[in-house]
Amino acid sequence: MEKENAVEFKVHGRYALFTDPLTKIGGERASYLVPTYQALKGILESVYWKPTLTWIIEKVRVMKPIQTESKGVKPLKYGGGNELSIYTYLRSVEYQVRARFVWNPFRPDLVQDRNENKHFFTARRMIERGGRRDIFLGTRECQGYVEPCSFGEGSGYYDDIEELTFGLMFHGFDYPSETGREELRARFWVPRMEHGVITFIEPDECKVSRFVREMAFEKIAALPLVADGSLSDVLMAGDAK
Amino acid sequence: MSWIEKLWQTYEANRSEVGRLGEDHGAQLLPICHSTQQAQIEIAIDGDGQFIRARVVPKEDARTIIPSTEQSATRAGSKPVNHPLCDKLQYVAGDFVQFGGMVTSGYAKKPEEPFEMYLNDLLAWSESPFHHPKVEAILQYVKRKSVIHDLVASQVLHVDDVGQLLVTWGREDDELPEIFGLLRNRPQWDAFVRWRVEIPGDPQSAVWTDPTLHESWIRFYVSRQEKLDLCYVTGEEAKVATLHPAKLRHDGDSAKIISGNDTSGFTFRGRFTELSQAVGVSFEVTQKAHNALRWLIRKQGTTIGDFVVVAWDVKGEEIPDPLADTSFLLGVQASDEFFSTSNTGEDLARRLRQRMLGYSAQVGDTSRIVVLGLDSASPGRMSIVFYRELTGSDFLARIERWHVTCSWRHRYQRRFRRTEQHERDIEFVGAPAPIDIAEAAYGARIDEKLRKRTVERILPCIIDGQRVPLDLVDNLVRRASNRSALEPAEWSKALTIACALFRKLHEKEAYTMALDENRRSRDYLYGRLLALADSLEEWALNEAGENRQTNAARLMQRFAERPYSTWRTIELALGPYKARLGAKGRRRANQITEVMNMFVPDEFTDDRKLSGEFLLAYHSQRQALWDRRHEQSADNSTSESAIV
Repeated sequence: MEKENAVEFKVHGRYALFTDPLTKIGGERASYLVPTYQALKGILESVYWKPTLTWIIEKVRVMKPIQTESKGVKPLKYGGGNELSIYTYLRSVEYQVRARFVWNPFRPDLVQDRNENKHFFTARRMIERGGRRDIFLGTRECQGYVEPCSFGEGSGYYDDIEELTFGLMFHGFDYPSETGREELRARFWVPRMEHGVITFIEPDECKVSRFVREMAFEKIAALPLVADGSLSDVLMAGDAK
Repeated sequence: MSWIEKLWQTYEANRSEVGRLGEDHGAQLLPICHSTQQAQIEIAIDGDGQFIRARVVPKEDARTIIPSTEQSATRAGSKPVNHPLCDKLQYVAGDFVQFGGMVTSGYAKKPEEPFEMYLNDLLAWSESPFHHPKVEAILQYVKRKSVIHDLVASQVLHVDDVGQLLVTWGREDDELPEIFGLLRNRPQWDAFVRWRVEIPGDPQSAVWTDPTLHESWIRFYVSRQEKLDLCYVTGEEAKVATLHPAKLRHDGDSAKIISGNDTSGFTFRGRFTELSQAVGVSFEVTQKAHNALRWLIRKQGTTIGDFVVVAWDVKGEEIPDPLADTSFLLGVQASDEFFSTSNTGEDLARRLRQRMLGYSAQVGDTSRIVVLGLDSASPGRMSIVFYRELTGSDFLARIERWHVTCSWRHRYQRRFRRTEQHERDIEFVGAPAPIDIAEAAYGARIDEKLRKRTVERILPCIIDGQRVPLDLVDNLVRRASNRSALEPAEWSKALTIACALFRKLHEKEAYTMALDENRRSRDYLYGRLLALADSLEEWALNEAGENRQTNAARLMQRFAERPYSTWRTIELALGPYKARLGAKGRRRANQITEVMNMFVPDEFTDDRKLSGEFLLAYHSQRQALWDRRHEQSADNSTSESAIV
């Protein structure tokens, strides 16, 4: 990376559910109080992503008071029918996020795509457009909206509060495509929110990491376009008409 | 959310409470790897395993702390797993089958199996580095296989003519032996046994109160855990639990907060193929956290159906119950005097302030208060529906604010007076309890689910300072306006609670509890008119000794819908009563005219529905009249006594 390529955006929604793994297994999902690194990375990837790059979330700022709301839901069971559960969502959330990207070293076939300017400006444009794909805050039912902003502008609810800690929290997953190792690992860290801002540590800096299971790394190679004449008869037929 | 971490910290901070019997609520902070059971039989042996005596345990003493494994603590079904030390007769008695005992159906093919399992486990414990002399003694005794024989000899258990255990006590004429009385419909052999090992020099002969024995079991059990993995709470490698505790809300509660049994669906599968991949919590943390939660729920939690709310200080200091009404918070007694209306607001604020200062001296500004609400949508699973962590000062400030702002004068609480046998009505000024609010809004015979839902909705208003739900206030106002449909006591309760909530909802208007003689809004004045008319008529009826409902009372609901037209009816009907009272009633009649004059003319003839404001005015006016009369009669009586 030659130039600084950080993007800033704000994401907001009516409900968010960043699931706490402890409650996930029982089906009565409850949300973490702040978003995880992986959730924000997912949001940014929904906005703009190419296999050439990997997003690194730098920091997040919590603008509105953290409130939870429980709702009764009827999730579908795989075997048919419904079950009853109570999910605890975060209510009315708004976050300002700052992130940058680095090249994905495990995709050597995409070297020619490593054009900083192109990706940076496209990402900025996509943020202005609110994202290429649907944004969701944690789970799929929590619709979110992305808008451009300047990180640090406006007053947030936690600006005056010096420090808040949240205990051990999930940071993110190490997927084979980003680590090169054929295993799925989970990372954890202890976030601290200072004046409303949580500064994330980078994935390699997470000391607490756990092997989950083996995961295959499908070797994908980008195929260049080659003309092989297989459609030429169709083209010819069209011209004749 | 770090609820589990907070519970774990609470356990560690309250270590001195572990194993102690709570004062009156029977709440115990259990040591980990132990659960409780009701025991019916107590066998005392000596240090060499010789039988000394046995007795039937009376119901009051039955609660026993027993060592248990993850499987045995949650056992169910036809082949229940044995507890390690104290268990039912089928496990501890080698001569069970001999005396005709029937094992649980799953063991029918091999009836000695329960005893064998128990013996093996006991052997493993005594051969481990964590053995204990009491365990040795029990092992020696049990090996003799004479438990039932000794119990029959001590007349704890009863046999028939052929030496088999009686199924039921057939003989009606003789006194029922205690064991049958305790077990009710269950057979004798279903009794639970606990041990006493009397070793000279050891004051703690009871196995369930000996802390060294607890410790020995805990160390033995933890040493046998094999799976080492990351604990999601501490972030360190530890022995992880495979099962998490249940029996949180009550002893028959099978709901778990952390439970994972959906191996065929996709509750957690997807990225993960197995449960152990999704999460891991260390054994020690989950046991301690759940034990702390169980203890807290029994000690200071409020249960409404399936919904439980518990608020606690991590350090264990006393804090106010968020779901209590002000009468409990301030400790209002039956002997307290009735307030005079003029300065109730300030008086309440002052008393609350003092009470909160008292709490904050113990609690401190920075200690963590946690408020947790648990509910289950389906049996077997419990979810956290409400979770807040607050500093001590924040929590106390919010409670204080709720009690001050959502307050009114109430008369529906009852207390016993010291010298009397029956309860008396007491008056208190303050906020009603959420359960009372729910009952006032939807009726006393409210559906359980609706009641807990309503309390759940009110909880954030207390803790977070959120606005009270509009529909709830609407229901309260509607119900309180419908005087004819309710019993007088119920109506009075609904009225004062509706006033409290309406006042809270419209905090900005700054309604006072005392009558505001300067307020000229239409609804307020109409409320006053109704109260004045009602009291005038009531006075007249009392004078005449008649026991009828007044017109104002009868027409209250219509009045709320169409005030102007209904007022005309009421006013016209007042005529005869004014005449009856004559000169005495002139003052009251003048008051009515005064209030009518305060109206803006257009507003007076406006026949639109009244808001809950008229209830506030109604109650305030009635209280003002009542207080004045009370004061006057007090004055009269003192002046009379002065004369004498």
